[in-house]
Amino acid sequence: MQVKLWGVRGSIPVPGPDAAGYGGNTSCVEVTTGDGCELILDAGSGIRALGAVLEGRCRHVHILLTHLHLDHIQGLTFFAPIFDPAVEVTVWGPPAAGEGLRERLARFISNPIFPVEIRDLPARVTFETVPSGPWEVGGVEVRAAPVAHRGVTLGYRLETDRASLAYLPDHEPGLGEDLDKADPEWISGHSLAADASVLIHDCQYADPEYPKHCGFGHSRVTDALTFARRARAERTLLFHHDPGHDEATLDALGEQAASEYDAGAVEMAREGLAIDLAR
Amino acid sequence: MDDASDTDRPVELILARNLVSIISLAAVLVDIEGALVYYNEAAAEVIGSRFEDRGLIPRAEWSVEMGPVDGEGTPIPIDDLPLTAALRDGRPGYGQFFIRAEGGLMEISVGTLPLVGATGNHGALVVFWPVPKES
Repeated sequence: MQVKLWGVRGSIPVPGPDAAGYGGNTSCVEVTTGDGCELILDAGSGIRALGAVLEGRCRHVHILLTHLHLDHIQGLTFFAPIFDPAVEVTVWGPPAAGEGLRERLARFISNPIFPVEIRDLPARVTFETVPSGPWEVGGVEVRAAPVAHRGVTLGYRLETDRASLAYLPDHEPGLGEDLDKADPEWISGHSLAADASVLIHDCQYADPEYPKHCGFGHSRVTDALTFARRARAERTLLFHHDPGHDEATLDALGEQAASEYDAGAVEMAREGLAIDLAR
Repeated sequence: MDDASDTDRPVELILARNLVSIISLAAVLVDIEGALVYYNEAAAEVIGSRFEDRGLIPRAEWSVEMGPVDGEGTPIPIDDLPLTAALRDGRPGYGQFFIRAEGGLMEISVGTLPLVGATGNHGALVVFWPVPKES
């Protein structure tokens, strides 16, 4: 698997010089499998630039949505391949009572929010609720499971015989739980992240900011690090940066994380970062 | 602590445990198999041991130990239990019966809430409280 980050910001895109280093686009991670298959984790604003690169180069794209909060779907309608009749797009997403995934996304891809109706998208787009067990896409085993966040939200684990990637961009496992002491089976998302080669995990808040945002569905630095340690992740990318955090703040949080964490490699996720998980 | 786990509890149970652990009303969490997977301090006073000391109690074990039973100590048919309504039928239930506790029979009122999430029914949250004895 080749992994590339196209959007690492949470909540809302942040244009301008304050986000030039880490990037201002919302959640989007590209995973290219050994078979050349394109899997895209979330369709935040980062997917627009990815779509420009993929345009005319791929026939089938799988988009795996963790949930339908706007910062995870807002780039979908600006993803060039979805306007190409020659392209097949499979959108995977969380289950919900009542309406299917297509109907829920149609609220966003329809008048008056967007000028093109979901039924008029030129690509051959299908919408699939994730299965309860693992499934295979392009030679990669994919597993999805609900995790602690507001509303039905998935975490994903992508695995080959060589490496694994865990993706939990919006996740508050520390809500009401002592992550240091809890049995692993009672830690939200633990089995998805266990022994992952790379863990991409929510780290929206600095510790002093967390009390005012407890229950919003996002993690503070210490909870993200404790979760990573309990999961024994080899390399952790702290993700979903708060839109109010400028470069200096993110630098400081990264330094704090690096100094406090001794269970593996940890760094702040940065737009454009590419990781080769094939080796 | 062993950090190995093949699967997590369903997030509905994990979040319910957060709630159960901080309320003062006696409450237990039951998984879809009927095993008692967590109970709080108030429930521990009735059960007689802290969850942290005892751990998961399989259905066959707690039903022998506690019941529920009628006023004569006869087990109540499973179809008549509010927990059955929650686990089998996915609907809330309410009942009043006796359990074996504190060396005798204790009459309790019980409410059950099925933990039905987007991926199905994962268990039930059960609250109970003693029925005041008639003076």
